[in-house]
Amino acid sequence: MKMKIKHIPLAIVSLGLVTQLQAQQETRKITFVGAARAQFYSDNYNSYYEQDTVTTPKLNSGNTLVDLGVNIRPNQQMEIQGMVRVRNDYGGFWGAGVSFDVRQLYVKGVAGGIVRYQLGDINYKLTRYTLWNSDQEMISGVPFLLQQQADVVNYDHFYNKDNSWRQQGGSAEVGFEFAKWIKEIGIKTVATRVKTSDFSQTNDRIFSGISASVIQSEHLRLGFNYVNVFDILGTSRSTTTFHQPVMTATLGYNRTIGPWQHGIEVEAGRSKWYYQNEGDSAKNDWQGRFADGRYNVQHNKTGWKGGVQLKYVSSDFRSMGAQTKRVNYNGTLNAFQRIGNDQAVRPISMIDLMRESGLYTTQLQTNLMAYSPQYDNITPYGEATPNRQAMILSAGYDKKNSPVSGQARYYRGQEVRGEGTTTLRNFERYEVNAAFNAKNYMAGKDRDASISLRLRSDRTTRQGSESVPAIDLSSKTITAGLDYEWKKQWHLLAAFQMLTYSGFELKSVRNENQEIYNFTELNLKGAEQLASIGAKYTFSDKAFLSVQYYQFLNNTNQLDAALYSNKQWMLLYQINF
Amino acid sequence: MKNTRYISILALIVMMQACKPEDTFDGPNLEDIYGPFFIEELLTISDDSLDLTAGETTHFHASFSKNLDWKLQVRGLSSGAVHIHEEFSSAVDFNWNGSTTVLPMFRKETCEVMLTFENQLDTLRDTLEVLTIRPVQGFVLSDFESGLNPGWVPFVQSGANMSFAVRSDGMAAQGNNYYDMGGAVTFDWLLGMVDMPATAYNVEHFPLSADANEVYFNTMVYKPAAYDNGLLLIRFYEDDNGDGNYSNTEDMWAFQLSGGADGWSTISRKYDDLVTLNNGTETAPIGNGLHEPDKLMQVSVLFLANPSSGYSQTYLDYMTFTEGGPLEP
Repeated sequence: MKMKIKHIPLAIVSLGLVTQLQAQQETRKITFVGAARAQFYSDNYNSYYEQDTVTTPKLNSGNTLVDLGVNIRPNQQMEIQGMVRVRNDYGGFWGAGVSFDVRQLYVKGVAGGIVRYQLGDINYKLTRYTLWNSDQEMISGVPFLLQQQADVVNYDHFYNKDNSWRQQGGSAEVGFEFAKWIKEIGIKTVATRVKTSDFSQTNDRIFSGISASVIQSEHLRLGFNYVNVFDILGTSRSTTTFHQPVMTATLGYNRTIGPWQHGIEVEAGRSKWYYQNEGDSAKNDWQGRFADGRYNVQHNKTGWKGGVQLKYVSSDFRSMGAQTKRVNYNGTLNAFQRIGNDQAVRPISMIDLMRESGLYTTQLQTNLMAYSPQYDNITPYGEATPNRQAMILSAGYDKKNSPVSGQARYYRGQEVRGEGTTTLRNFERYEVNAAFNAKNYMAGKDRDASISLRLRSDRTTRQGSESVPAIDLSSKTITAGLDYEWKKQWHLLAAFQMLTYSGFELKSVRNENQEIYNFTELNLKGAEQLASIGAKYTFSDKAFLSVQYYQFLNNTNQLDAALYSNKQWMLLYQINF
Repeated sequence: MKNTRYISILALIVMMQACKPEDTFDGPNLEDIYGPFFIEELLTISDDSLDLTAGETTHFHASFSKNLDWKLQVRGLSSGAVHIHEEFSSAVDFNWNGSTTVLPMFRKETCEVMLTFENQLDTLRDTLEVLTIRPVQGFVLSDFESGLNPGWVPFVQSGANMSFAVRSDGMAAQGNNYYDMGGAVTFDWLLGMVDMPATAYNVEHFPLSADANEVYFNTMVYKPAAYDNGLLLIRFYEDDNGDGNYSNTEDMWAFQLSGGADGWSTISRKYDDLVTLNNGTETAPIGNGLHEPDKLMQVSVLFLANPSSGYSQTYLDYMTFTEGGPLEP
């Protein structure tokens, strides 16, 4: 035993020498990747309507962490990456509060020069109706000052900008090229485990999928996707298994005629889900379908563009890969979980979506998750939101070297099947995004300056009857941001976002079979306002240090202590390497 | 350009076909939740003098303006027996066979009938007469109406205030009598027990079906509010080898009860769900491992309590085997 201990320092030195030697080679076989972050919050809660003598008003928290990964390429056909996270929470001196986690582990490569594969942790997406990680509400596409907190949450939960889901399993893909008629055929397949057996009543649950794409020419693409979520019988004592297959077909066509670039994207398909008892051939199943077609046109010279989208998603369409939300609205908050002298549970607010890591989910969910109607009552489950038929018109302007860009979007929709009545809800959304890049209008053209503005107005209505109350819920969001590089690498940042909502809605309550069995009355009235100012110093493209001050004001009728504010200082240092 | 046009038209046709609003709706009817409530037809009882022994049933009917949760309650004014039927609908159409939801069972008595509605003040009332009690179901080990079966073998520890006796004080769940087991034993968990051999019924094996999925053991058990420390263990001895005797290499199935709600409750166990217990823990069968009710030769009821926990008590009534389903009291 002593002999072994003696040899350990020698082994570490040897490993270091090997690493250095390998790093000096022309093709680097071992590289280190990762990120480091230091984050510190200082919160100050204040209640306006009553003197809150119970809640502790000040809260300090934060952490420092390093994600250290090793990427090994033993040969041209193979890549191995492992990453560990070392995290030390604020106040965790001398080892207390320190955690070590394996954050990433995968092997990928090309087998036989034909099949590309990846095993372990994989980021995967298919289509918006089969496997798609839709952005969270309110804090997506916001100015940098707000986005940087959301980016921390997104990074921690593996929410990538390509809307892929981080899963654990394996994937493989193969492609064939043809000389005539068809240009290329690609086949992809994936299998991941989305639930682990508890060896009692919960079976292992697998998400599997296969996708075939046919590129007929540079103009026409066809695709077929099949995903299935199913339980593996025998992995627990339960004899009931869940199944949810979804099958879709896609078509993409684009053509440039003169200066106009036309594009058509169509996807349509069906879903089915059921529970199967062992040895029982009879089963109740729920079947859904959808169709989504969009036409886009863009003028290459002027930068003008427009589009129209028509979509239909039936009430029973279920696709857990596409309908799982990032935010678990039934989750509990860490900061100021209860407020007021009655210590009422504080409802989730806009600022919590930016920083409460515990609200976010990483596993695909079988059931339609809870959502917040004041944030999004129209597309709570993204494009795959069930029970919607809609027309979406869009127009925009985005020209290279032009300081101004913008886009307007109009959503007009309706339910497919009523809830509690045959009268359908109507949905309407106006959305305008505009940005002004002032870089060329400043004295120093090597510095950045931009202003962004976004307005969104949502409204849900349904006619009432003599006895049934009408539904009329509206929400409005205004977002503005400023990024001014007043000195090289020094940025002055400001952001503002305000949400107002009011109205009446009947929220459906569903059972374990996702069938509506009751309704909850929601009389909503409130406003959330987030104003922030800060400064950022960019060391490089991959590293920055920023300090911000946020003032959040929440006035909601969901709480007795309705009006409260949270003033927050935040310090964030981030480096990617 | 032509291709673009064709594809656009095709996509449009597909979309137009899909976008048809549906005539049905999801969830409960909102008119039921928000609509006005009024009674359209008052409560009627088809037979208000019931001969339950003869298998008579009675039909309750009423209707109202919307679907809602309603509760029909029949309460014996003498026994306190209660039958409750709850439903979500716009009409009461319910046949009652004299069964009980809350013990005791109905006796010969006048019963009050009450129909109530959730979130509504209206209550409809009527009465009916139970002329005879419900017939015996299944193979009855004992309803204690004639005392203890002389073929049984009772054993009572020499503890304090031992009360292993048949009582008749109006507390019975069925009929007039029940079996009271109680006492305090400081040196052993066992307070007392009763062996009920098949020979007490002049048969070698109890006359039960061979299908363990069809056979149910049922008993009515009373837990006094003052004592939570009792443990009722019921054992089932099988004559696996058919020699007419039980040996410790043959199956002895069991189940045990402790805690639970205060008052009377009906306990039913499917024979196939019985297990082998060793000091309260499930263990491997000691015989052939097959549930064979047709080979059952003895039932034993043991009443136990932790010696340090003091006095304990429970009552038993109407012990019976039923086939095809549990006892419906």
